[in-house]
Amino acid sequence: MTPALQIAGLAKTFGEKIAVDHVDLTVPQGSFYGLVGPNGAGKTTTLSMAVGLLRPDEGRALVHGIDVWEEPLRARRLMGVLPDGLAMPERLTGRELLTYLGQLHGLSVEEVDRRADELLAVMELDGSAERTLVVDYSTGMRKKIGLATTLLHAPKVLVLDEPLEAVDPVSAATIKKILKRFVERGGSVLLSSHVMALVEELCDTVGVMARGRVVAEGPLGEVRGSRSLEDTFVDLVGVKIGGGEGLSWLAS
Amino acid sequence: MVGVLIRMKLAVLRHSTTDAKMALSGLGWTAGICLAVTTLVLASFDFSHPRLLMDLLAVTFALWALGWMVGPIFAGEPALNGEHFHRQPIPRRTLAMGLLAAALVAATTAITLVAFGALIVFAVRLSWVAVVVSVPAVVLLLLLVVLLSRVVTLLFRMLAKSRLGGVVTATVTAAMVSLCSFSWVLIIGVSLLLEYGFPPTFSTVVRALPSSWGLIAVEAAGRGDWLWAVGPLVALAAVVVALFLAWSALLGPQRIARPVVRGSSAQQAVRRGPLFRGDQGAAYLKELRTWWRDPVRTQGIVMGPAFSIITALFPLIFGFTAGFPFVGAASALMAAATCANLYGQDGTALWLTLTVPGKEKADVRARQLAWLTVFGPLTLALTLVGCLLHGDASLVPWALAGTLAALGGGSGLLVWVSVVALVPGPDPHKSKNSPMDHGDVTGQSFLVFFLVALAMCPALGVAWAGHALDLPALLWASVPVALLTGVLCHVKLGSVAARTLRDKGPELLHLMRSGKATSTAEELGEDAGKSPFATMSGKRQTVMWSAMAVGILGLFPQGLAPLGIKLSGSQAKVWFLALHVPEPWQWPVIAVMIVIALTGFWGAYLLYRTEKSRLQAAAAAPPPPSQDTGGGDMRGTGAAGPGAGADRLTSA
Repeated sequence: MTPALQIAGLAKTFGEKIAVDHVDLTVPQGSFYGLVGPNGAGKTTTLSMAVGLLRPDEGRALVHGIDVWEEPLRARRLMGVLPDGLAMPERLTGRELLTYLGQLHGLSVEEVDRRADELLAVMELDGSAERTLVVDYSTGMRKKIGLATTLLHAPKVLVLDEPLEAVDPVSAATIKKILKRFVERGGSVLLSSHVMALVEELCDTVGVMARGRVVAEGPLGEVRGSRSLEDTFVDLVGVKIGGGEGLSWLAS
Repeated sequence: MVGVLIRMKLAVLRHSTTDAKMALSGLGWTAGICLAVTTLVLASFDFSHPRLLMDLLAVTFALWALGWMVGPIFAGEPALNGEHFHRQPIPRRTLAMGLLAAALVAATTAITLVAFGALIVFAVRLSWVAVVVSVPAVVLLLLLVVLLSRVVTLLFRMLAKSRLGGVVTATVTAAMVSLCSFSWVLIIGVSLLLEYGFPPTFSTVVRALPSSWGLIAVEAAGRGDWLWAVGPLVALAAVVVALFLAWSALLGPQRIARPVVRGSSAQQAVRRGPLFRGDQGAAYLKELRTWWRDPVRTQGIVMGPAFSIITALFPLIFGFTAGFPFVGAASALMAAATCANLYGQDGTALWLTLTVPGKEKADVRARQLAWLTVFGPLTLALTLVGCLLHGDASLVPWALAGTLAALGGGSGLLVWVSVVALVPGPDPHKSKNSPMDHGDVTGQSFLVFFLVALAMCPALGVAWAGHALDLPALLWASVPVALLTGVLCHVKLGSVAARTLRDKGPELLHLMRSGKATSTAEELGEDAGKSPFATMSGKRQTVMWSAMAVGILGLFPQGLAPLGIKLSGSQAKVWFLALHVPEPWQWPVIAVMIVIALTGFWGAYLLYRTEKSRLQAAAAAPPPPSQDTGGGDMRGTGAAGPGAGADRLTSA
């Protein structure tokens, strides 16, 4: 079976800094894949290149066998993408935004309205929030409307960068539930996070990135063995946990 | 505190300066130094009319203060502002003191100090007592303009958060810019004024401004009038202290809530008229909603027309109304120049356009149409009203052709420039509380202004030919010519912009995410697809922009404008150099001005060509081993600009 998303030898250098160093990743169909790594490991850069938002220096990304950079039109139809912290058309309401994007995706008027209705309801962005512009949304609301835009055109693969970063517990629960349902019905998800507990809770497959490389990849159970993912991660990344030294003046 | 903040400011400047920025500021500094020296020269002018000289200096100082108030609106936020220190437990007074000291460490302050040295020059000619008074007067004057600049910026920022505030800010800004751009009237006006002097009311008003109080004190000291020597100085010091207190009060957290604009209800949101169907219709509706709801756009809508109307009203002092019919054309021109950062303004929202591929053209066309929808009827109405008020039918074809050419040229050039010369700034949701916090769009606005003016030339040329040959049919033919060039610009440049957006979309997104252009190892090869503006070295850019400025100044205000006035047989001299020289010399002066202008344009074009062919050569040849080839100047070192935090990976 062709993988839902295959990343082969992606590389990116910014000036002197090698941000991503020939990364290979395979997201099998129907899997919930978690990409973990410390800040600056190259997760965002890798995902941006994989979905066509940042041109790679080298390497390929294939969605269900279709090259993202060779055949962007076909590839991106299969993908739902949620980058972290980027702007939206800010002066629209959630419904206006979904209607606009639905029209661009070529959905029929009735279909757009039906999907927008359902998505807004499930994300709790209707009712009192109906007339709020995206620019005035809270962080959680922004993530939820972002997720709604990725789901709107019924993609097969979701690529989400830090989907639960700075999201309140209620919104987070909603998002998690939606993602689980998506995978249960045969969809594939690739998400990045630096919260180990979240990845252990949701994902069946993990990849660990450090300093621009993938240092481990496989089913969750295999990668972490009998230990917690956090302990494995610390070993793999090869860092020493700081915080024990110095600071004698603090709260003295 | 003071030392820390000064060092911090210098560090921020060091890390955010690119060569292109340096070039523009270098140009600004040169212009500033010229103005400062002019001010000094003014103070040593013929002294047979001391009152007149004082008025002249008072006006000049007022203009310097005005310049300080307007500057930040275009140049964006200062390097350090109060919000950077919100969470630090520093008393506001201390913070304000530190920020003031940091603000004083700047090239602009040094230049202004030189200009205000005119006060000392003036005092030297009076008496040594006057010199003693002039030194504190200069210091107070400098503090006054710096504080005025900061307080006005903060007030504008607060206002600009609402749409109504946007209207007010835009109008006030337009008035100030208009006033500043007319300061060159002074240079020609001097000779007239030496004969007639300023009208007494005008002189009283100018002297009442705080910027003139130092001057009054110095002059009184020269006469030995102690009350008037000390009084104005004390008053000036009081104003400075009041401004300082106001500023430190404003530095704190925002107190005035931002008025929230509401979107449409569920029923309205799904209703779609026939205009809004399809890809382009959807994007068009999105753009129109943004124009209607965003205070920053409101400012853009008001700015152009306000500037044009105010500028047309100024020459009324000379009883000159021939500017009225052209208010519409000027509005369209200014509207294109002020809205040139369309894509930059929307920030990283571009990712949505990239993830729904194949819709770039629809997006570009929708933006063009929305801009035309906003400004088309408005500028045409202004043209109509202007023509009616002026009442001379012979100017109608000129005005109509100018407006149509500017609208068409603007709608094409604006999207093209916003894609090829995009200025990254903070994302709209991050700067929703500080709408004035944007990238430095000065260079981009000038570029669009110049290019749109150029796009108006064919139509106006036909009109001129019709006028010179006395062929009304040819004169009126300028209108269809304007339509033709307009449609061509709109269609062609829109297509080019869409293609650039499709091919360079990821690079543009990266530019907005990180605040600077992509820099990869094999840079030189990549330069090939880049605009020469982006890669030209700082020094070359300085020369190119100076040449272009010479071209614009020579061609429009000093070449074509007096030409038109002479042709129309009007006796008005206004402020055009050519009309002030004796009759036999008028034509030669106009000719020389136009030749100077064309030389300027030619020089700028040559520089552009050289850079372009260098890029093509670099693309053809393998990259040389050394990076030291003078190219690739957008690559600043260190974390750049306002958007730098967005992508940590890039701040190598």
